[in-house]
Amino acid sequence: MASTACFVIVSKNDIPIYEAEVGSAPKKEDLAYHHQFILHAALDVVQDLAWTTNAMFLRSVDRFNDLVVSVYVTAGHTRFMLLHDSRSEDGIKSFFQEVHELYIKIFLNPLYLPGSRIASSHFDTKVRALARKYL
Amino acid sequence: MDPLRSYLGRVLLEDVTPVVMVLTTPLAEAACRKSGLSFVDMLSPFSLLKKIDVPVRTASDQPYRLQQFKIRMVYASDVRKQDCEVADARIKLVVSEANENALPDLLSDPPQLEDVLKKPEAELCPLWIKRFNRELVRTLSFSDHETFDHPVACLLVVSSKDKEPISKFADLFNTNQLPPLLNEGIMDPQILKHYLVLHEQQDGPQEIAVNILAEMRTTLGVNDCKLLSINSSTQADGSDADNSWSTYKAHGLHNNEGTCFLNMDDLNEIKDFMQDFASNHIIPYMEQKIRVLNQQVATTRKGFRNQIKNLWWRKRDDVPEAANGPMYTFTSIESQIRVLSDYAFMLRDYELALSNYRLLSTDYKLDKAWKRFAGVQEMSGLCYFMLDQSRKDAEYCMENAFTTYLRIGSSGQRNATRCGLWWAEMLKTRGQHREASTVYFRISNEEPSLHSAVLLEQAACCYLLSSPRMLRKYGFHLILAGNSYYLSDQKQHAVRAYRNALFVYKQNPWSYINNHVHFNVGRWYGVLGIFDVAIKHLLEVIACSHQSLTTQSMFLNDFFHFVQSTGEKFDVYKLQLPVFNMSSLRVVNEDHRTYASNADVDVNESIWQELEEELIPSSSVVRTNWLDTQPKSSPFRNNKACICVAGEAVKLNVELKNPLQISVNVSGISLICQLSTNLNASETGALTTAAEEDIANTKPSISTFESDGNNFTVSKLDIVLGGGETKKIQLEVTPKVIGILKLVGIRWTLSDSVVGYQYFEVATQKKNKKGKRGALRSLNNNLIVIKGLPKLTGYIECLPAKAFTGDLQLLTLNLRNQSEHAVKNIKMKISHPRFVIPGDSSDLDLEFPQCLRKHVQSDSNTVPEGTKENVKGSLFAFPQDIKIQGDATFSWPIWFHAATPGNFSLYLSLYYEMESTTDIPYRTLRMHYNVEVLPSLDVSFAISMCSSRLQEYIVRMDVINKTPSDSFTLHQLSCVRTKWAVSTLPSRDSISFVETVPANQAVSCFFKIKDLSTSSCIEAADGSCGSDIVLSPGGSTDVFDVSRTPITDFHYQERHQQGKLAKVPRSLLDFILISKAVAVNSSKTEQLLSHHTCHCSALNQNPVWWLMEGPRTITHDFSKSCCEANIQLVIHNSSDHNASVRVVTSDCMPEKSQTAPSHESASGQGGWYDVSLENDIKAISSTKGAHSQKQSSESISPFVWCSLSSAQVDLKPDSSAKIPLKVCIFAPGTYDFSTYELHWKVHSSESGQVDENVTSGGGQGYPFYVNVLQGA
Repeated sequence: MASTACFVIVSKNDIPIYEAEVGSAPKKEDLAYHHQFILHAALDVVQDLAWTTNAMFLRSVDRFNDLVVSVYVTAGHTRFMLLHDSRSEDGIKSFFQEVHELYIKIFLNPLYLPGSRIASSHFDTKVRALARKYL
Repeated sequence: MDPLRSYLGRVLLEDVTPVVMVLTTPLAEAACRKSGLSFVDMLSPFSLLKKIDVPVRTASDQPYRLQQFKIRMVYASDVRKQDCEVADARIKLVVSEANENALPDLLSDPPQLEDVLKKPEAELCPLWIKRFNRELVRTLSFSDHETFDHPVACLLVVSSKDKEPISKFADLFNTNQLPPLLNEGIMDPQILKHYLVLHEQQDGPQEIAVNILAEMRTTLGVNDCKLLSINSSTQADGSDADNSWSTYKAHGLHNNEGTCFLNMDDLNEIKDFMQDFASNHIIPYMEQKIRVLNQQVATTRKGFRNQIKNLWWRKRDDVPEAANGPMYTFTSIESQIRVLSDYAFMLRDYELALSNYRLLSTDYKLDKAWKRFAGVQEMSGLCYFMLDQSRKDAEYCMENAFTTYLRIGSSGQRNATRCGLWWAEMLKTRGQHREASTVYFRISNEEPSLHSAVLLEQAACCYLLSSPRMLRKYGFHLILAGNSYYLSDQKQHAVRAYRNALFVYKQNPWSYINNHVHFNVGRWYGVLGIFDVAIKHLLEVIACSHQSLTTQSMFLNDFFHFVQSTGEKFDVYKLQLPVFNMSSLRVVNEDHRTYASNADVDVNESIWQELEEELIPSSSVVRTNWLDTQPKSSPFRNNKACICVAGEAVKLNVELKNPLQISVNVSGISLICQLSTNLNASETGALTTAAEEDIANTKPSISTFESDGNNFTVSKLDIVLGGGETKKIQLEVTPKVIGILKLVGIRWTLSDSVVGYQYFEVATQKKNKKGKRGALRSLNNNLIVIKGLPKLTGYIECLPAKAFTGDLQLLTLNLRNQSEHAVKNIKMKISHPRFVIPGDSSDLDLEFPQCLRKHVQSDSNTVPEGTKENVKGSLFAFPQDIKIQGDATFSWPIWFHAATPGNFSLYLSLYYEMESTTDIPYRTLRMHYNVEVLPSLDVSFAISMCSSRLQEYIVRMDVINKTPSDSFTLHQLSCVRTKWAVSTLPSRDSISFVETVPANQAVSCFFKIKDLSTSSCIEAADGSCGSDIVLSPGGSTDVFDVSRTPITDFHYQERHQQGKLAKVPRSLLDFILISKAVAVNSSKTEQLLSHHTCHCSALNQNPVWWLMEGPRTITHDFSKSCCEANIQLVIHNSSDHNASVRVVTSDCMPEKSQTAPSHESASGQGGWYDVSLENDIKAISSTKGAHSQKQSSESISPFVWCSLSSAQVDLKPDSSAKIPLKVCIFAPGTYDFSTYELHWKVHSSESGQVDENVTSGGGQGYPFYVNVLQGA
């Protein structure tokens, strides 16, 4: 498992709808904004890159020092962004694909308003379990 | 773009130029000092030669022309590697100088996206950043692995006042004073020397100088000596010179003293000297050197043979690897190639330079002289760039150089930075801003924080310029730059960087980013002493709910710290702490509707309206109508406005929430109101309300609202909100005079230091949004204040919130008139008359529950019908003569009965009219109580007809105690209708009484009831069995009178309620069970419970009763004759109509008649024939008719009916008839004379139309056993 991993789902309107620190490193208060900054800045790169490929998994799109940003773009242009320092691309890909399935389940919920914050605790525990499994 | 015109090109043309080393005598230097300049300073403005047009011929035969040339004049003492600290201090100076310019900018609003995009590129990357870059590059001057900083020529200057000037020249070029580069053998000490005599015109005529010059020419050479005369202006600060000089000031000259003895002629002379020096000496010298070196290189290195030789030689020579590679003296071929290529670069023969650099790079690579290799790569990259060839190669070279510099560690770090700067500039020139920014970012990692801050800022600018724009990257890098600035103690730069990034993060939903940016900007502004801006930014973050406790307290502390630093109370519009939930806003104004308590306000208005429908005058149900009856009061025409009464508080409910985990102290929460007393102006005022509010919103000047203290008073509320707590508060404003009251907003003080205020949303907007639902009263922030009115307040004393089912209590309704005017015509309506019934005025003094006891002397058993009618409508009018005077209290009894379990909301509305004529003719007082009724005793009755007696029933009463812990005593059971008498079963006397029903237990009791109304039962008269039966052993004195007012009224309600549910068309009777709760502690008053069970009826009731009467035992001597027994059948018609009854006797009762119908019905079910069912029926029938079966089997009838086989009687309603029957018995034994059948028809209509409305039925005879004994 990666020591640092910050997973964020960004809606079509660039609003983070789900955030989770899934790394094994102890959570530090000052790193939270740091991670957000990196991921937020990486959106600029994703914006260009998303339209150049058919694949949903864009691999690592940006890096900041030793932290890498990997991105997965769904058909609805919701972006799953993972800031990590591990190298296992396969694991990250599987992680994204499974999270995509979870996200679709959330999306199918008639009470879920697309683009609103995902507050489901079930989703949260599942994502964290997936992170333990793949990252 | 032409690379020479690009920024990098210009920089290279200016920076990579021949260096002239200057050596001066002190006297010469002093001459220059008179004008406040050093010698180098004096010459350097003229070192840039813009229009020289010199032909140059280097290695190739084809000459080309140089249009522009620059030489660098440097003192010999400066020709050395710079001290690191001095260099850094210089750079720091550049940055902090820019700081001072930035301060006024910081006070203005932060730039917006449009502003930034409109800015030209040059402004994004301001001049001081360029200066910084050049200073950074300059720190590397005179390094030993590069030769373009090595002096090309040497200028020796002697003053005309110097004694023995010739020997002075020799002294100047003394090796001891020469820079280490020359002494250490890195560069060739044999350089071009130029000799100059400096003459001051002030000191006298030029002759001395000319003499010296002539002397020099003879000894030092004709061409290399020059005379320069300066300071020809006699008076200081010559105006013409000043003007001409000022054009050169841009080149970094600072004439501090302000005096200048140089005039136009001097300047021209200097200019001519410099031009001559450059074009006639330096350039030809360099040309010649290039040619010589080129020749040398060609012979030693060019050609196949040389290459092989070179390889061979280098391989054999196994040099140990050192960081800087092997030492190269100026005589080594590598140094010579380097000089050659650098000179070629300076003379802009880039082709030549490039080919030599490439040649050199392979050598250095083989020698593993990495630093030199990187330097050469760097230069070849620049050559590629200047030639505008192969971009790929240029980039490859630069990257190679960059990585190589980085690889060799700390010594190459600054070189890497320089390389990166050039590389980034190169990329920027080609429009590859994105790549440039990554380069900047890479070099920023290698530099100390101040340098990296500036570099990061440049990286940010590149992101902004890149296409498409990468604003988020721009913001991020600016934030990084800001952080670095802050670390290196450049707060103003830090603030500037953050400010520039603000627009990127405006309205940003990324919460942590938002908080970080605003918090830091705010904090730094605070540190800089600009508190208002600091507070503005900190306001954005103080309400952050997602941060941890420590962060929140840090934010709050800083915020309060800065607020206190301002030394004044700070007014903040829309302060985020605490959060006022504006959707929960509710204005409670009492016009004709008044409320007993605050909770009553929350009840839906429609409930009240429904309740009050009958209560209030019908014309005023629609509010506009009653307003029309008051044509004088014009302001009421405005339907939008609500009405409130002067002297009565208008309340406003609002919810406020503390988003933080820290508890905050909120004090002085009050309403901001306006009361305009001018009624005439109000009409126009009403029209322009929206406009006024706009003004109020845009100009938040709350001070004006406070001055209206004499017109109204507002309540102030202080609360402490715990972490994450939500509180509902009520604010009040009490208008004192007539006018129009406008609720503008709320103000509050946070922690005694910050005053927050918030205006209510403009009503018109809300109305549009909500449409017809706009009836919500939160809209009405405009209230018309009318003259003071009487107002009643009231409450019901000790109304229980929880009660057991059946609980009966006497309560008091207390009313109070707070005004001085009397009110009259009081009426009351109750939503649940089942629960609450107003009593009589006489009840007030009664003692409960003794008043309910049956008094012997009281003979008012019957309740007048009138009251019942009154109760039915649930509208109760107090007696007309009751008036509540001003300041008087008034009490009225109220009966309470908890009818059924469940939660109930009791609504009471009191209507009253004013004694005096006022704007509003009447008012209502609304009261609302919630009562939870717990289940207590569950009583049910089962009634079955008594087969042995006429008009008697057996009643089984099942009582289940459903409470978990309480016990109840059964006290009394009463039948409601007087014609019924209830009594215990005869056997009952011997069985002990059931006194209490403990929790969760059930009890069944049996009673007998008797219809007293029939004439046949006269025994009722003796009073032994009345309609009440006391179950407790206390005796009959404790009997409660169920026919008196509260119980009978409640019973009436119950009967009405239960009748709705009951499906049985014909009911028999109602029961009231009175029980007492077993008091746990004796102090409590006796609790009485009454349970009403209505519409009880017998299980199967026939309209016709019959009973066999006759002797039960007959003694007869059968030896004489058969016995004849006379019996009679009494038939009673209990129905309301005529009935005809037919009695059929049969000697042999066939079994078939019983079972046949069931057979038929079974077979009629179309194949669904259930064998077991039929067996069951047979079994039942066999047990039932055991006797008759036996008879049939024997086929001997032991008796025969002898008088008649069939008789028919017609019975009037409620009448009886006796039919005599005779039976003939042949043998002694016990006989059952039940072998008869009754068939009746009831004619429900009086006219006797038989075919219709006839109910008919029949029944078997009841068993009637007669013992026949053999007589003696």
